[in-house]
Formats: sequence, C-alpha cells, structure tokens
Amino acid sequence: MSEALKELGDHIAQAQAGVVSKTEVRLGELMLETSADKVLALLAFLRDDPKCLFKQLIDICGVDWPEREKRFDVVYNLLSLKNNQRVRVKVATDETTPVPSAAPVYSSAGWFERETYDLYGVWFSDHPDLRRILTDYGFEGHPLRKDFPLTGFVELRWDDVQKRVVYEPVKLTQEFRRFDFLSPWEGAPQILPGDEKAGDKAAAPPPAPAPAPAKAN
Amino acid sequence: MSDVEIKTLTMNFGPQHPAAHGVLRLVVEMDGEIVERCDPHIGLLHRGTEKLIEYKSYLQAVPYFDRLDYVSPMNQEHAYALAVEKLLGIEAPERGQYIRVLFSEITRILNHLLNVTTFAMDVGALTPPLWGFEQRELLMEYYEQVSGSRMHAAYFRPGGVHQDLPDGMLDSMDGWLKQFYPFMKDIEYLLNENRIFRQRTVDIGVVSAEQALDWGFSGPLIRASGLAWDLRKSQPYDVYDRMDFDIPVGKTGDCFARYLVRIEEMYQSARIMEQCVKALRTVGGPVRVDDRKISPPRRGEMKGSMEALIHHFKLYTEGYKVPAGETYTAVEAPKGEFGVYLVSDGTNKPYRCKIRAPGFPHLQALDMMTKGHQLADMSANIGSLDIVFGEIDR
Amino acid sequence: MGVIAPTKPGTAAEAALSRALNDELADKGFVVAQLDKLVTWARTGSMWGLTFGLACCGVEMIHCWMSRYDLDRFGFAPMPSPRAADVMIVAGTLTNKMAPALRKVYDQMAEPRYVISMGSCANGGGYYHYSYSVVRGCDRIVPVDVYVPGCPPTAEALLYGVLQLQKKVRRTGTLVR
Repeated sequence: MSEALKELGDHIAQAQAGVVSKTEVRLGELMLETSADKVLALLAFLRDDPKCLFKQLIDICGVDWPEREKRFDVVYNLLSLKNNQRVRVKVATDETTPVPSAAPVYSSAGWFERETYDLYGVWFSDHPDLRRILTDYGFEGHPLRKDFPLTGFVELRWDDVQKRVVYEPVKLTQEFRRFDFLSPWEGAPQILPGDEKAGDKAAAPPPAPAPAPAKAN
Repeated sequence: MSDVEIKTLTMNFGPQHPAAHGVLRLVVEMDGEIVERCDPHIGLLHRGTEKLIEYKSYLQAVPYFDRLDYVSPMNQEHAYALAVEKLLGIEAPERGQYIRVLFSEITRILNHLLNVTTFAMDVGALTPPLWGFEQRELLMEYYEQVSGSRMHAAYFRPGGVHQDLPDGMLDSMDGWLKQFYPFMKDIEYLLNENRIFRQRTVDIGVVSAEQALDWGFSGPLIRASGLAWDLRKSQPYDVYDRMDFDIPVGKTGDCFARYLVRIEEMYQSARIMEQCVKALRTVGGPVRVDDRKISPPRRGEMKGSMEALIHHFKLYTEGYKVPAGETYTAVEAPKGEFGVYLVSDGTNKPYRCKIRAPGFPHLQALDMMTKGHQLADMSANIGSLDIVFGEIDR
Repeated sequence: MGVIAPTKPGTAAEAALSRALNDELADKGFVVAQLDKLVTWARTGSMWGLTFGLACCGVEMIHCWMSRYDLDRFGFAPMPSPRAADVMIVAGTLTNKMAPALRKVYDQMAEPRYVISMGSCANGGGYYHYSYSVVRGCDRIVPVDVYVPGCPPTAEALLYGVLQLQKKVRRTGTLVR
C-alpha cells in the first residue's frame, strides 16, 4: 500500500513539477502541498490523470495555526474509486489571500467551501454562492479559529417586554474549567516546595529529572 | 403576442415539519407544483461539536460522536477510535475487533430500520414504523446490556471496547437473528409490491453514477446508482476482511433503488452478525489493549493495587497524549463514508478534529435531485437520502 | 387501532363506582360533576403532543409513540401542527439559530399549552453547555412545565414525564391557566 502511494506521489510530483511543492507519505497516507493559485490545476490533474482518477472529493476543511504567517491550511481529501486510493492536498493561506473555488472541478465542493469560509473565514474566489452555512443568521466571527472563545460572545434569551428573542453578552454561572495538563505524564522535574533555591546552588547543570512519582509497568 | 411574466412562488419548508427528519429548513422556489430550485438552510442544529472536541481530552471526546448521527452512534465511535488508534500506533485485540464489527452491524440495522420505516411513513404508510420500531427496541436492549445506555453508548473506545459482552448475550442474539429474517420478509411484503409506495418512489430523484461521483455520494446512495463501492470490502478495517458478505448494487439510482439497497444491506448485516456471534464463541482474550497508559485498569485491580489506582486517576483526568501527526480515517457508516480528519499536536487534546459527515454532500445534492419534480416528491427524496441533522450540522 | 376489548373493572371499588354511575344515569338521565374536575379530566385525557424533535432525544420521543411504549394509550397523540397541539416536547439541543423558530411555534399554540423539556440539552445545555451556538436551556426561550433528565432520557422516562404533567394539570385544576 505504502509503496504504491509513494510511486503515485512520485508520479504526481513529476507530472506537476511546478505545482506540487511537497509530497509525503505518513501513516500510510499520501499528502501533497501546493499553493493557492495552483490548486485548481492540481485538482483537475488528480481527477483526470489515468493513473490518479480521484473522481471524488470527500472533504474540504480548514485548520488554524495562529503562530504561522499563513495561518490557515485548507485541506482537500480526495478518493479514487478506481484505484482505491486516497490523497490529501494542502494549501496554506491567510485571512486575505483567496483560494480559488474548486466548484468547477467538483460539484460537491460548494458546501464544503461555504463551511470552511463560515468556520475559518477563508475566502474562496469565484465561488457561486459564498454564504454562511452552519452558524446563526447574522453571526459575527469565525468560530473555529483558535482565538475565538469556546463560549462565543453572545447568548440568546426571550425578552418578555420586547416580545422577541434578544442577544446578550455571555454570562456563565460557572466558568468552563480548563486544567493544565501539559505537565508531563511522568518524570516531571520534581522540585519540592521550599526546595526551589536548593537547585540554584548547584546551578550549572539543570536539576536532573527526578524519578517518576509513579513509575508504572 | 405580449410577454407573459411567470412568477415563481417562494415557499418556506420547515424547520418544524414532520417530513423534514429533524430541523431542515428549505427555501423552495416553485412554479405551480413544480420545484424550480430548493435551497436547504442547515445549521439549525449546529452545536459546535468540532470546537468542543478541541477542548476535551481524547477520551472525553468519544461521546460527541454518538451524538452526531444519533441514529447510528457506534459506527461513528468506530471511526474516531480507529483514527486515534492509528495515531497512537496500536491495534485493538481480536476479540475487541469482533465485538466492534458485531455492534457496527447492529447499528447498521438500527439505522436502516429507522430510515426505511420512516421513509415509508413519509410517503404514506404507518404500519412499517410500528413493526420496525419493535425490532429497534430489541436491538437497543443489546446496546443497553453492553453499555448501560439505549442510544449513546460510548462503547467503542480507542484501543478496543469498554467491556466484554455479558453472559448469555450471544445466545440471545441467535434467537433474535432467527426471528429477524421473517420480520424482514414482512416488511418487504408490505412495501416491495405496494402500489402507493412504488408510485411515490420509482423514477423519483434519479442520480446517475457520474453525478453520484461528482457530488461526493457514498454508502447506499452510491451503490443505488450502480457503483459497487463499500469501504468494508475495499478498505477493510478491523475484522471485516474475514467476513463473508455481499454488496447490493442498485440499477436505476432512484428512490426505490435506494430503498432496495438498504433492505438488502440489512440481510447482509444479519449475515455478518451471525458470523461474528459464531466467532465470538471461540475467540477469547482481552477486549481492549493491555496498555495501562491507554486503557484503564479493571475495577477489581484498583481495589488492591495503588499503581492501578493512579493509572485510573491519570487516565480519567489528564488522559493520554497522542503523538503529533494527522490522519484521515473513514468507516462505512450506514449513511455512507464517515470520516474523521484528526490532527494531533502531541498534547492530550485533539488539535483539530474535522468530521466528514456523509449526509452533508448528500443534502447538498438535494437541489440537483428535486429540480423539476413535484413538491410531494421532495419528501420522498429527503426520506431516501437518509439525512440526520446531528451529523450534517455538527 | 385494533379491536378495543370491553374494559373489565379492575377492582371492586371501580366496579362499585361504575355501577353507581350507571344507576344514576338510568335513574335521572344525567350525572352531576364539578366543572373544573370535568375540564381537567378532559384536558389530561387528550393531550396532544407537538412533535418537536430537534436532535437525539427526538428518536426516543418517536420510540415512546411507537408500539412498545405506545403513548397514545394515555390520550397523548402525536400532532405535527402547533395550532392543534396542547403540549410541546422540546426534544433535543436548542441552538441559537433554532430559538426564534421554537418561540414562533410556541406562540402559535393555543392556550392552555404546556412544555416538556426533554433531555439535558434542553434542560440546561448539557453536554453542549459551553458551546458558542447552543441556548443554555430552552427555559430561556419558553416557559417549561416538566423537565425530563437524561441524555437521552429513555422512552420510559419521557412516559413518566408525561404522567407527571398530567398530574400537574390535575393538581392545578383551574380553568384559566
């Protein structure tokens, strides 16, 4: 499976030399990277090339990496029924750079792109009908961006005086609990309370990681 | 002759409508009784599942998958469990895999029973749901026996299933299977040759194989259009490669073909169940991986071992860390290809979990399917698409 | 549906009551009852439930109406039209986008009207409490009479909720709600 994918990846990289910037096979899945202006050509090639025949667009979705300069990845998942293979195409973009819509190549792209636009604010140029799809009518912001708070900004309530549903700023009776679990599973550098300065004396080598509190297995 | 101005009527359908299968809202442009264009407004059940998953640990995210497509809960857990297992680089033990396949097929029957019978109700038959739901009740009892819940089981976990089957379940399943085939004959007898049912479904909403590919169809819908494509056969996961079953393929691609494919799939699912029940009598061993960093210790162990207690505490508060990486893993859910695109950044919470719901592209094609049909055919189309809003809106 | 067998009086007390009723009818040709009791009897005996299946709980709600639990035998029939329904069962997660529609449907119902909130999502947001798009409890939008807990509540639990609502109606016993 993996060799076949590698072969396919090489074939695509060769045929689309200027288009594909990176091919990679990881966990038995083929991944291609390209840029926004060339993605349509690549998709059309993948669909029609006799060795590829990725006739089905399974999914388009976004991923947000706020620390990157081009913070969004638009990920296309394609499936070939003929060859029984999958491929993943990735395009990096930011809030302002539009990605050409894949709707002329795959009819099913329309809603997937609307969803990506709705949740991430990625702009798709030449899209036949780029409206919000999942969020509320008149929703502001793009909820799946990492900087969007989980509980959002507004909440709804029926106002008996105005006789309509009104939006109000979110007021939670109990905050969402987030615990810091990033401390390592085992082998945390153990510094006992009151021992903070003890390590400074031996300063030069950082305190050796003490044995795990609960070394298992 | 002077120009005649034809004005189309814009009509709102739903969101509270018995034939809408949930909270579908359609804005339909009609010329008389003929549908010119229909614009589905979805998102009326958008609960922000994907965002919530990013804030939960890998284990805490499992129940969200039950609540996506609430008619076929376990298949979706299956996709998620497989995705996490792929990133972790582990595999469920054999018995666990058999149990997963067994319950996936139970879920498939549950789903198709609901769909076929309510589809019949949409086009005017009340008896099939009354009969079919009794079978659903029997199957939900199995759900309850293994997980304690009738619908939202959270039974498939990354690394296997939560618990082994209770005693006597396999015998009871044998009994259920025996009475299921005559029941299916009854349902077929009610609908297959039924004049009203045929008039409402034959040649309605025809989708060709080309269109089915282009619009991203999967599952029973693509099979009804004549393409023999089933992930259980072509990209088998767990022990599906050891199962002996056939893929039904439709010829016409209309609503009736979709109904027939679902009926036949139920027979095939029952066949797979039989094989699993048979295999489970001999295949022993654990039902989840024996790695204390991933699956919690048994309750009995915790009574005596401090180490087990700590493991339990750590697993249920912090959870496990998944190595950085990304995967797209799909299973053949009853509605079609259900996929999970999981991106991990090495912490104990998923960085991104995109859920690829089969109903989403299916509903998108509703406009293409209903164009030029009568308004009454739209409810037949919606029924045969088998849409559930939990998964479409997420 | 089906043949209704003549009901047999279950207990001696019931038999005595029905005999007394029959005697009075045969004797005078009419019976006297308290109007409010009569009205609540009629109200509790034919509550029509609006099928408002929003999400997962909707499936359990359908199960409750189907052959095994058969909610119809309590006079609680499914009614898709809000204008003719008495009870709205809010079954499932209520989202911000759906909330105006829910209120509109509620406003279309005729008095007296009751609301059963089914499942933890409708009760208070439940599993989706912290989501950006979910109303944290449908009682923010419509007044609720009975809360049925569970995720989803079993069909039996909903049945119990319906019985509780009937009890509530009987207990209140006023003509104007």
